[in-house]
Amino acid sequence: MSDVCTSPFCNAGWGELLSHMSPYGFANFGIAFGLGFSVVGAAWGIWLTGSSLVGAAVKAPRIRSKNLISVIFCEATAIYGVIMAIILANKIKKPDEESYQLPENWDFPGFYYAGYGMFSAGLSVGLTNIASGVSVGIAGSSCALADAQDASLFVKILIVEIFASALGIFGIIVGIIESNACNFPIAALDNGN
Amino acid sequence: MSTPKGPHGGLSDFNIHHGFIEALIRGMRCSFLKDADYHHITQCENLEDVKLNLSETDYADAVADMTVLTPSDLQAAAIKKLVTEFKYVRTQAVEPLATFLDFITYEYMIENIMLLLKGALSGRDINELLAQCHPLGMFKDSTMRSIPTFEPNAKGFADLYQTVLVDTPVGPYFAMFLQESSNAMGGEVRNVIEEVEIEIIKSSLIKYWIEDFTQYVEKLGGETAEIMGDLLKVRADTNAINITLNSFGTPLNEPAMRASDRKRLYPAVGHLYPSGTSMLTDVATEEELGRVLSLFPQYASIWGVHAAGSDKSIDDAFYERDVMSLELAFESQMHFGVFYAYVKLKEQEIRNLVWITECILQAQKDEINKFVPVFSFHAPWRASASKAR
Repeated sequence: MSDVCTSPFCNAGWGELLSHMSPYGFANFGIAFGLGFSVVGAAWGIWLTGSSLVGAAVKAPRIRSKNLISVIFCEATAIYGVIMAIILANKIKKPDEESYQLPENWDFPGFYYAGYGMFSAGLSVGLTNIASGVSVGIAGSSCALADAQDASLFVKILIVEIFASALGIFGIIVGIIESNACNFPIAALDNGN
Repeated sequence: MSTPKGPHGGLSDFNIHHGFIEALIRGMRCSFLKDADYHHITQCENLEDVKLNLSETDYADAVADMTVLTPSDLQAAAIKKLVTEFKYVRTQAVEPLATFLDFITYEYMIENIMLLLKGALSGRDINELLAQCHPLGMFKDSTMRSIPTFEPNAKGFADLYQTVLVDTPVGPYFAMFLQESSNAMGGEVRNVIEEVEIEIIKSSLIKYWIEDFTQYVEKLGGETAEIMGDLLKVRADTNAINITLNSFGTPLNEPAMRASDRKRLYPAVGHLYPSGTSMLTDVATEEELGRVLSLFPQYASIWGVHAAGSDKSIDDAFYERDVMSLELAFESQMHFGVFYAYVKLKEQEIRNLVWITECILQAQKDEINKFVPVFSFHAPWRASASKAR
């Protein structure tokens, strides 16, 4: 490793890399991960449930409409992601004054706070929704199999599914709280402050 | 044999490949005859009533075009139904489940080959023999027809392997058998097989099959290795005990044969292996067998049934234990054990139907309840739980 960069223009490490990325970029990545991971979770849940559902419905066709609820539960996971994405997207505001350079008295702490905050909010929604989607999917798959054998089991397993679905709601609640305080500054601070 | 055999997935990705097919076989669980069905069938006075009762169950289509129901026709129709279901599942399956399902059929292939060889020895008609073969273990018709044409001696078997069986999935087991029996005789291939009875060949082939299947299941890992592995262990133990029990009074029980030949038939898997099987090697009488088995709690009770000399045979005790362990495979999701369990439980159901219809036909009403119902709420291992509820 002889060619370590010693020039002052070189990147000093991860800290510098992260602090030099635009907060707008962070915020938009937050939206992307929040929505993307939620959809991954939902899709994962749907094929887990769906494949079992069609298989079990061959011998017991009565289950197919009832068990669409399991698929809807998985779909809800994606909807949480969409809701969060809309909330976050509305929080990204461009500066009033368009210029290539931000003014000296720009609210940099608030600017960075908003960027990181929205990135983490998106990530917490996305990752919880993957977990929620997978667990709803597994419970939904078992639900379809159980319902095909004994119709009285459907409601009981549905309760398990509701709890699995609640995991995603925890994520979205925390995500909303996290992003609440994130306000992108749109103009420079007053000189008096 | 170049099919990719990756891991078959766990809780979160098993359904990618096997979700539909697993749900399908679990859906078929509801096609087993219920306690009420058995109750109605056993109350029947004649086979016409049995047919009427069966036409309200999943066997409706199978018995629909029978004018007169006989036990053997019913058996054939039920097996045909099972085979249709199995073939359907097999066409839907992808690797590694497809190979797993093929492994299930190898057992029937071995049985069919042995049936043909045995039939050829007693000079029976080939068409009659073919009709008796299990449809799950069929090769091409030309292959099937050529099996009994070989001489039942060393050269004949070697030719049989080289010209016919080498292309079949059970060929490797046959090769292993030929290899091992020539090794045991110090490289003298010629005279070996004549002395060995067909049953012994069959036991060896089944042993190789169990060992191979166990290896495959272990390679798959996860839940399958755990559940299917246990089913195969139980199967291996049953074989070892039955081989020992059936050898009493035959040349296989001679002190010299015990160590050389009978020991070779014990599968190298199972709960009894290795300490139990090595003890079984020295067993010469039923009492000694009972003493060995009393060391293994799970078999002590089964042996107790046999030793008590009650009207239940050791086969019945084994069947009961099998049904219990096979039902357990249905208690867990996302593994391959259910496919094996389904086939075996259906076989038990077919045995039950044959038993009941035979009893009705021969007016043996006292014996009629001596069958092992599948997924019964009155099963001994479930009765205590349902009382507590």
